[in-house]
Amino acid sequence: MNKELEHKFVSELESNQNIVHKVCSLYTNDRDSHNDLFQEITIQLWKAYPKFRGDAKFSTWMYRVALNTAITLYRKSKKRIRTQDYDSVIFKIKADEYDDTQERQLKLMYNAVKQLGDIDKALVFLYLEDKDYSEIAETLGISEVNARVKMNRIKNKLRTILNP
Amino acid sequence: MMMDELELLKKDWQKQEETLPKLSYDDIYKMIWKKSSSIVKWIFYISIAEFVFWIAMTLIPINSEDITGSGAQFVKISEWVLEITAFIIIIYFIYQFYQNYQKISVTDSARDLMKKIIKTRKTVMRYVWFNLGLFALTMVVVLLEVLIFNPPTEVMEKISSADSTLIAWLLLGLFFAVAIVFFGLLLWLFYRLLYGILLKRLNENHRELKKLEV
Repeated sequence: MNKELEHKFVSELESNQNIVHKVCSLYTNDRDSHNDLFQEITIQLWKAYPKFRGDAKFSTWMYRVALNTAITLYRKSKKRIRTQDYDSVIFKIKADEYDDTQERQLKLMYNAVKQLGDIDKALVFLYLEDKDYSEIAETLGISEVNARVKMNRIKNKLRTILNP
Repeated sequence: MMMDELELLKKDWQKQEETLPKLSYDDIYKMIWKKSSSIVKWIFYISIAEFVFWIAMTLIPINSEDITGSGAQFVKISEWVLEITAFIIIIYFIYQFYQNYQKISVTDSARDLMKKIIKTRKTVMRYVWFNLGLFALTMVVVLLEVLIFNPPTEVMEKISSADSTLIAWLLLGLFFAVAIVFFGLLLWLFYRLLYGILLKRLNENHRELKKLEV
Protein backbone atom coordinates (compact mmCIF):
# COMPACT_ATOMS: atom_id res chain seq x y z
CA MET A 1 0.00 0.00 0.00
CA ASN A 2 1.45 3.31 -0.93
CA LYS A 3 1.55 6.52 1.09
CA GLU A 4 -0.86 8.28 -1.19
CA LEU A 5 -3.54 5.66 -0.63
CA GLU A 6 -3.01 5.78 3.13
CA HIS A 7 -3.36 9.53 3.15
CA LYS A 8 -6.47 9.50 0.99
CA PHE A 9 -8.13 6.86 3.12
CA VAL A 10 -7.36 8.41 6.49
CA SER A 11 -8.52 11.86 5.35
CA GLU A 12 -11.78 10.48 3.98
CA LEU A 13 -12.43 8.50 7.13
CA GLU A 14 -11.55 11.47 9.29
CA SER A 15 -14.16 13.64 7.62
CA ASN A 16 -16.77 10.82 7.60
CA GLN A 17 -16.03 9.43 11.06
CA ASN A 18 -19.45 10.46 12.40
CA ILE A 19 -21.05 7.53 10.58
CA VAL A 20 -18.75 5.07 12.33
CA HIS A 21 -19.23 6.73 15.73
CA LYS A 22 -22.99 6.53 15.35
CA VAL A 23 -22.82 2.81 14.55
CA CYS A 24 -20.52 2.29 17.54
CA SER A 25 -22.79 4.14 19.93
CA LEU A 26 -25.75 2.09 18.75
CA TYR A 27 -24.05 -1.28 19.11
CA THR A 28 -21.95 -0.73 22.24
CA ASN A 29 -22.65 0.59 25.71
CA ASP A 30 -19.42 1.86 27.14
CA ARG A 31 -16.49 3.91 26.04
CA ASP A 32 -14.04 0.99 25.83
CA SER A 33 -16.15 -1.14 23.54
CA HIS A 34 -17.06 1.94 21.50
CA ASN A 35 -13.36 2.51 20.79
CA ASP A 36 -12.82 -1.19 20.25
CA LEU A 37 -15.52 -1.39 17.61
CA PHE A 38 -14.38 1.87 16.01
CA GLN A 39 -10.92 0.38 15.60
CA GLU A 40 -12.22 -2.88 14.12
CA ILE A 41 -14.40 -0.98 11.64
CA THR A 42 -11.40 1.17 10.67
CA ILE A 43 -9.29 -1.95 10.07
CA GLN A 44 -12.04 -3.53 7.97
CA LEU A 45 -12.51 -0.33 5.96
CA TRP A 46 -8.79 -0.08 5.33
CA LYS A 47 -8.53 -3.71 4.26
CA ALA A 48 -11.40 -3.25 1.82
CA TYR A 49 -10.27 0.16 0.60
CA PRO A 50 -8.04 -0.98 -2.29
CA LYS A 51 -11.14 -2.57 -3.85
CA PHE A 52 -13.24 0.53 -3.35
CA ARG A 53 -13.73 1.78 -6.87
CA GLY A 54 -15.20 5.16 -6.18
CA ASP A 55 -18.25 4.44 -8.31
CA ALA A 56 -20.18 4.54 -5.04
CA LYS A 57 -19.98 7.36 -2.55
CA PHE A 58 -17.37 6.79 0.15
CA SER A 59 -20.02 7.28 2.83
CA THR A 60 -22.44 4.76 1.26
CA TRP A 61 -19.67 2.20 1.10
CA MET A 62 -18.84 2.99 4.74
CA TYR A 63 -22.36 2.26 5.97
CA ARG A 64 -22.12 -1.25 4.65
CA VAL A 65 -18.68 -2.07 6.04
CA ALA A 66 -19.42 -0.44 9.40
CA LEU A 67 -22.72 -2.27 9.86
CA ASN A 68 -21.30 -5.60 8.70
CA THR A 69 -18.49 -5.26 11.19
CA ALA A 70 -20.82 -4.29 14.04
CA ILE A 71 -23.37 -7.02 13.31
CA THR A 72 -21.27 -9.93 12.10
CA LEU A 73 -17.53 -9.55 12.54
CA TYR A 74 -17.23 -7.90 15.92
CA ARG A 75 -17.22 -10.11 18.98
CA LYS A 76 -18.92 -8.77 22.07
CA SER A 77 -17.62 -9.95 25.40
CA LYS A 78 -19.91 -11.09 28.20
CA LYS A 79 -18.86 -8.20 30.40
CA ARG A 80 -20.16 -5.69 27.89
CA ILE A 81 -23.52 -7.37 27.60
CA ARG A 82 -23.93 -7.10 31.35
CA THR A 83 -23.08 -3.40 31.22
CA GLN A 84 -25.99 -2.92 28.85
CA ASP A 85 -28.53 -4.32 31.30
CA TYR A 86 -27.05 -2.20 34.01
CA ASP A 87 -27.27 0.93 31.88
CA SER A 88 -30.87 0.44 30.91
CA VAL A 89 -31.90 -0.09 34.51
CA ILE A 90 -30.37 3.22 35.49
CA PHE A 91 -31.89 4.78 32.42
CA LYS A 92 -35.39 3.73 33.34
CA ILE A 93 -35.16 5.14 36.86
CA LYS A 94 -33.76 8.40 35.57
CA ALA A 95 -36.34 8.67 32.84
CA ASP A 96 -39.14 8.26 35.35
CA GLU A 97 -38.04 11.42 37.09
CA TYR A 98 -38.58 13.50 33.97
CA ASP A 99 -41.81 15.25 33.15
CA ASP A 100 -43.73 14.09 30.17
CA THR A 101 -41.64 16.23 27.87
CA GLN A 102 -40.13 15.67 24.48
CA GLU A 103 -36.80 15.10 26.11
CA ARG A 104 -38.15 12.25 28.18
CA GLN A 105 -39.74 10.76 25.11
CA LEU A 106 -36.49 10.99 23.22
CA LYS A 107 -34.55 9.29 25.97
CA LEU A 108 -37.10 6.53 26.10
CA MET A 109 -36.89 6.15 22.34
CA TYR A 110 -33.11 5.89 22.34
CA ASN A 111 -33.34 3.39 25.13
CA ALA A 112 -35.95 1.37 23.24
CA VAL A 113 -33.84 1.33 20.07
CA LYS A 114 -30.85 0.12 22.06
CA GLN A 115 -32.86 -2.84 23.27
CA LEU A 116 -33.58 -4.03 19.72
CA GLY A 117 -31.77 -6.95 18.08
CA ASP A 118 -28.76 -6.48 15.79
CA ILE A 119 -30.72 -6.56 12.53
CA ASP A 120 -33.52 -4.33 13.79
CA LYS A 121 -30.95 -1.81 14.99
CA ALA A 122 -29.39 -1.72 11.53
CA LEU A 123 -32.76 -0.99 9.93
CA VAL A 124 -33.56 1.78 12.40
CA PHE A 125 -30.06 3.20 11.97
CA LEU A 126 -30.35 3.40 8.19
CA TYR A 127 -33.86 4.83 8.53
CA LEU A 128 -32.60 7.52 10.90
CA GLU A 129 -29.78 8.24 8.46
CA ASP A 130 -32.47 9.02 5.90
CA LYS A 131 -31.70 6.09 3.62
CA ASP A 132 -34.48 4.91 1.33
CA TYR A 133 -35.86 1.39 1.46
CA SER A 134 -33.99 0.24 -1.62
CA GLU A 135 -30.67 1.10 0.00
CA ILE A 136 -31.71 -0.43 3.33
CA ALA A 137 -32.77 -3.61 1.51
CA GLU A 138 -29.53 -3.76 -0.46
CA THR A 139 -27.34 -3.23 2.59
CA LEU A 140 -29.01 -6.05 4.48
CA GLY A 141 -29.51 -8.37 1.52
CA ILE A 142 -33.30 -8.58 1.69
CA SER A 143 -36.01 -7.40 -0.69
CA GLU A 144 -37.44 -3.91 -0.52
CA VAL A 145 -40.89 -5.23 0.37
CA ASN A 146 -39.45 -7.22 3.22
CA ALA A 147 -37.50 -4.22 4.44
CA ARG A 148 -40.77 -2.28 4.69
CA VAL A 149 -42.54 -5.16 6.42
CA LYS A 150 -39.66 -5.49 8.84
CA MET A 151 -39.65 -1.75 9.56
CA ASN A 152 -43.35 -1.87 10.43
CA ARG A 153 -42.72 -4.75 12.78
CA ILE A 154 -39.92 -2.82 14.43
CA LYS A 155 -42.25 0.14 14.94
CA ASN A 156 -44.67 -2.20 16.67
CA LYS A 157 -41.87 -3.65 18.73
CA LEU A 158 -40.76 -0.18 19.80
CA ARG A 159 -44.32 0.60 20.74
CA THR A 160 -44.47 -2.39 23.06
CA ILE A 161 -41.13 -1.52 24.61
CA LEU A 162 -42.31 2.05 25.22
CA ASN A 163 -45.78 1.10 26.48
CA PRO A 164 -45.44 -2.20 28.30
CA MET B 1 -48.30 8.35 17.00
CA MET B 2 -45.37 5.99 16.71
CA MET B 3 -44.48 7.43 13.34
CA ASP B 4 -44.23 10.85 14.92
CA GLU B 5 -41.97 9.58 17.65
CA LEU B 6 -39.60 7.99 15.18
CA GLU B 7 -39.63 11.21 13.15
CA LEU B 8 -38.81 13.09 16.33
CA LEU B 9 -35.94 10.76 16.91
CA LYS B 10 -34.80 11.28 13.33
CA LYS B 11 -34.59 15.03 13.85
CA ASP B 12 -32.70 14.64 17.08
CA TRP B 13 -30.45 12.02 15.46
CA GLN B 14 -28.90 14.65 13.20
CA LYS B 15 -28.34 16.93 16.19
CA GLN B 16 -26.48 14.34 18.22
CA GLU B 17 -23.53 14.62 15.85
CA GLU B 18 -22.21 17.47 17.96
CA THR B 19 -21.83 15.19 20.95
CA LEU B 20 -19.96 12.46 19.07
CA PRO B 21 -16.26 11.90 19.74
CA LYS B 22 -13.83 13.40 17.28
CA LEU B 23 -10.71 11.50 16.33
CA SER B 24 -7.71 13.18 14.78
CA TYR B 25 -5.97 12.20 11.55
CA ASP B 26 -3.14 10.65 13.58
CA ASP B 27 -5.52 8.64 15.77
CA ILE B 28 -7.05 7.05 12.70
CA TYR B 29 -3.70 6.60 10.99
CA LYS B 30 -2.45 4.58 13.96
CA MET B 31 -5.56 2.42 13.88
CA ILE B 32 -5.09 1.16 10.35
CA TRP B 33 -1.97 -0.74 11.40
CA LYS B 34 -3.64 -2.54 14.28
CA LYS B 35 -4.52 -6.24 13.98
CA SER B 36 -8.08 -7.25 13.34
CA SER B 37 -9.81 -9.45 15.90
CA SER B 38 -12.88 -10.25 13.84
CA ILE B 39 -14.59 -13.62 14.02
CA VAL B 40 -13.47 -14.32 10.46
CA LYS B 41 -9.90 -14.19 11.70
CA TRP B 42 -10.75 -16.48 14.60
CA ILE B 43 -12.42 -18.95 12.27
CA PHE B 44 -9.43 -18.83 9.96
CA TYR B 45 -6.94 -19.66 12.73
CA ILE B 46 -9.10 -22.39 14.24
CA SER B 47 -9.59 -23.94 10.80
CA ILE B 48 -5.86 -23.91 10.08
CA ALA B 49 -5.27 -25.59 13.44
CA GLU B 50 -7.81 -28.26 12.51
CA PHE B 51 -6.21 -28.91 9.14
CA VAL B 52 -2.78 -29.21 10.70
CA PHE B 53 -4.05 -31.44 13.51
CA TRP B 54 -5.72 -33.94 11.20
CA ILE B 55 -2.87 -33.99 8.70
CA ALA B 56 -0.55 -34.79 11.59
CA MET B 57 -2.89 -37.56 12.63
CA THR B 58 -2.85 -39.00 9.12
CA LEU B 59 0.94 -38.94 9.05
CA ILE B 60 1.22 -41.12 12.14
CA PRO B 61 2.32 -44.41 10.59
CA ILE B 62 0.21 -47.47 11.14
CA ASN B 63 2.42 -50.16 12.56
CA SER B 64 2.08 -53.08 10.19
CA GLU B 65 5.65 -54.29 10.20
CA ASP B 66 4.87 -57.23 12.45
CA ILE B 67 2.48 -58.62 9.93
CA THR B 68 3.93 -61.41 7.88
CA GLY B 69 2.58 -64.21 5.79
CA SER B 70 0.02 -64.36 3.06
CA GLY B 71 -2.07 -61.36 4.21
CA ALA B 72 0.80 -58.91 4.59
CA GLN B 73 0.78 -57.73 0.99
CA PHE B 74 -2.96 -57.13 1.05
CA VAL B 75 -2.77 -55.17 4.32
CA LYS B 76 0.05 -52.96 3.06
CA ILE B 77 -1.75 -52.16 -0.16
CA SER B 78 -5.03 -51.37 1.56
CA GLU B 79 -3.29 -49.04 4.00
CA TRP B 80 -1.51 -47.35 1.16
CA VAL B 81 -4.75 -46.84 -0.78
CA LEU B 82 -6.44 -45.48 2.34
CA GLU B 83 -3.67 -42.95 2.92
CA ILE B 84 -3.51 -41.73 -0.68
CA THR B 85 -7.29 -41.33 -0.80
CA ALA B 86 -7.29 -39.45 2.49
CA PHE B 87 -4.55 -37.18 1.26
CA ILE B 88 -6.37 -36.30 -1.97
CA ILE B 89 -9.58 -35.59 -0.09
CA ILE B 90 -7.75 -33.41 2.44
CA ILE B 91 -6.22 -31.36 -0.38
CA TYR B 92 -9.67 -30.97 -1.88
CA PHE B 93 -11.02 -29.73 1.46
CA ILE B 94 -8.21 -27.24 1.93
CA TYR B 95 -8.76 -25.92 -1.58
CA GLN B 96 -12.49 -25.55 -0.97
CA PHE B 97 -11.91 -23.87 2.38
CA TYR B 98 -9.51 -21.40 0.82
CA GLN B 99 -11.95 -20.63 -2.00
CA ASN B 100 -14.80 -19.99 0.42
CA TYR B 101 -12.61 -17.97 2.73
CA GLN B 102 -11.43 -15.76 -0.13
CA LYS B 103 -15.04 -15.00 -1.06
CA ILE B 104 -15.83 -13.52 2.36
CA SER B 105 -16.11 -9.80 1.75
CA VAL B 106 -17.04 -7.12 4.22
CA THR B 107 -18.58 -5.10 1.39
CA ASP B 108 -21.24 -7.73 0.70
CA SER B 109 -24.76 -7.32 1.96
CA ALA B 110 -25.19 -8.40 5.59
CA ARG B 111 -26.97 -11.57 4.55
CA ASP B 112 -24.40 -12.61 1.94
CA LEU B 113 -21.56 -11.99 4.36
CA MET B 114 -23.16 -14.22 6.97
CA LYS B 115 -23.95 -16.88 4.38
CA LYS B 116 -20.35 -16.99 3.20
CA ILE B 117 -18.95 -17.22 6.72
CA ILE B 118 -21.33 -20.08 7.52
CA LYS B 119 -20.37 -21.82 4.27
CA THR B 120 -16.67 -21.56 5.07
CA ARG B 121 -17.36 -22.96 8.51
CA LYS B 122 -19.33 -25.84 7.04
CA THR B 123 -16.43 -26.84 4.79
CA VAL B 124 -14.19 -27.24 7.82
CA MET B 125 -16.94 -29.04 9.70
CA ARG B 126 -17.31 -31.51 6.85
CA TYR B 127 -13.54 -31.92 6.86
CA VAL B 128 -13.61 -32.76 10.56
CA TRP B 129 -16.41 -35.31 10.13
CA PHE B 130 -14.54 -36.85 7.23
CA ASN B 131 -11.47 -37.22 9.40
CA LEU B 132 -13.46 -38.69 12.24
CA GLY B 133 -14.93 -41.23 9.84
CA LEU B 134 -11.51 -41.98 8.48
CA PHE B 135 -10.17 -42.33 11.99
CA ALA B 136 -12.91 -44.79 12.91
CA LEU B 137 -12.32 -46.72 9.68
CA THR B 138 -8.58 -46.89 10.31
CA MET B 139 -9.23 -48.15 13.81
CA VAL B 140 -11.46 -50.89 12.46
CA VAL B 141 -8.91 -51.85 9.81
CA VAL B 142 -6.09 -51.97 12.35
CA LEU B 143 -8.24 -53.99 14.71
CA LEU B 144 -9.12 -56.49 12.01
CA GLU B 145 -5.49 -56.75 10.96
CA VAL B 146 -4.44 -57.48 14.48
CA LEU B 147 -7.18 -60.01 15.06
CA ILE B 148 -6.78 -61.79 11.74
CA PHE B 149 -3.06 -61.65 11.07
CA ASN B 150 -1.47 -61.17 14.43
CA PRO B 151 -3.87 -62.10 17.19
CA PRO B 152 -2.62 -61.52 20.72
CA THR B 153 -2.53 -65.01 22.21
CA GLU B 154 -3.75 -63.96 25.63
CA VAL B 155 -6.99 -62.39 24.39
CA MET B 156 -7.65 -65.24 21.98
CA GLU B 157 -7.22 -67.79 24.72
CA LYS B 158 -9.60 -65.94 27.00
CA ILE B 159 -12.19 -65.71 24.27
CA SER B 160 -12.00 -69.36 23.33
CA SER B 161 -12.07 -70.40 26.97
CA ALA B 162 -15.18 -68.30 27.63
CA ASP B 163 -18.52 -70.04 28.15
CA SER B 164 -19.82 -68.65 24.92
CA THR B 165 -17.33 -67.63 22.30
CA LEU B 166 -19.99 -65.67 20.40
CA ILE B 167 -20.92 -63.56 23.41
CA ALA B 168 -17.27 -62.87 24.14
CA TRP B 169 -16.81 -61.59 20.59
CA LEU B 170 -19.95 -59.50 20.82
CA LEU B 171 -18.75 -57.96 24.09
CA LEU B 172 -15.43 -57.09 22.50
CA GLY B 173 -17.23 -55.49 19.55
CA LEU B 174 -19.57 -53.63 21.87
CA PHE B 175 -16.65 -52.30 23.84
CA PHE B 176 -15.09 -50.80 20.72
CA ALA B 177 -18.42 -49.42 19.50
CA VAL B 178 -19.02 -47.69 22.82
CA ALA B 179 -15.48 -46.29 22.80
CA ILE B 180 -15.96 -44.85 19.30
CA VAL B 181 -19.35 -43.32 20.17
CA PHE B 182 -17.94 -41.90 23.39
CA PHE B 183 -15.06 -40.14 21.66
CA GLY B 184 -17.36 -38.94 18.91
CA LEU B 185 -19.71 -37.45 21.50
CA LEU B 186 -16.85 -35.79 23.32
CA LEU B 187 -15.68 -34.14 20.12
CA TRP B 188 -19.18 -33.13 19.16
CA LEU B 189 -19.61 -31.46 22.55
CA PHE B 190 -16.30 -29.67 22.13
CA TYR B 191 -17.40 -28.29 18.76
CA ARG B 192 -20.80 -27.30 20.03
CA LEU B 193 -19.12 -25.29 22.75
CA LEU B 194 -16.41 -23.74 20.59
CA TYR B 195 -18.62 -22.67 17.71
CA GLY B 196 -21.63 -22.13 19.89
CA ILE B 197 -19.75 -19.33 21.57
CA LEU B 198 -18.14 -18.03 18.40
CA LEU B 199 -21.09 -18.16 16.03
CA LYS B 200 -24.20 -17.92 18.21
CA ARG B 201 -24.89 -14.32 17.33
CA LEU B 202 -24.12 -14.80 13.65
CA ASN B 203 -26.42 -17.80 13.37
CA GLU B 204 -29.25 -15.95 15.11
CA ASN B 205 -28.91 -12.92 12.86
CA HIS B 206 -28.67 -15.06 9.76
CA ARG B 207 -31.81 -16.97 10.74
CA GLU B 208 -33.61 -13.68 11.24
CA LEU B 209 -32.68 -12.41 7.78
CA LYS B 210 -33.51 -15.75 6.19
CA LYS B 211 -36.86 -15.87 7.91
CA LEU B 212 -37.75 -12.62 6.18
CA GLU B 213 -37.39 -14.11 2.74
CA VAL B 214 -39.79 -17.01 3.29
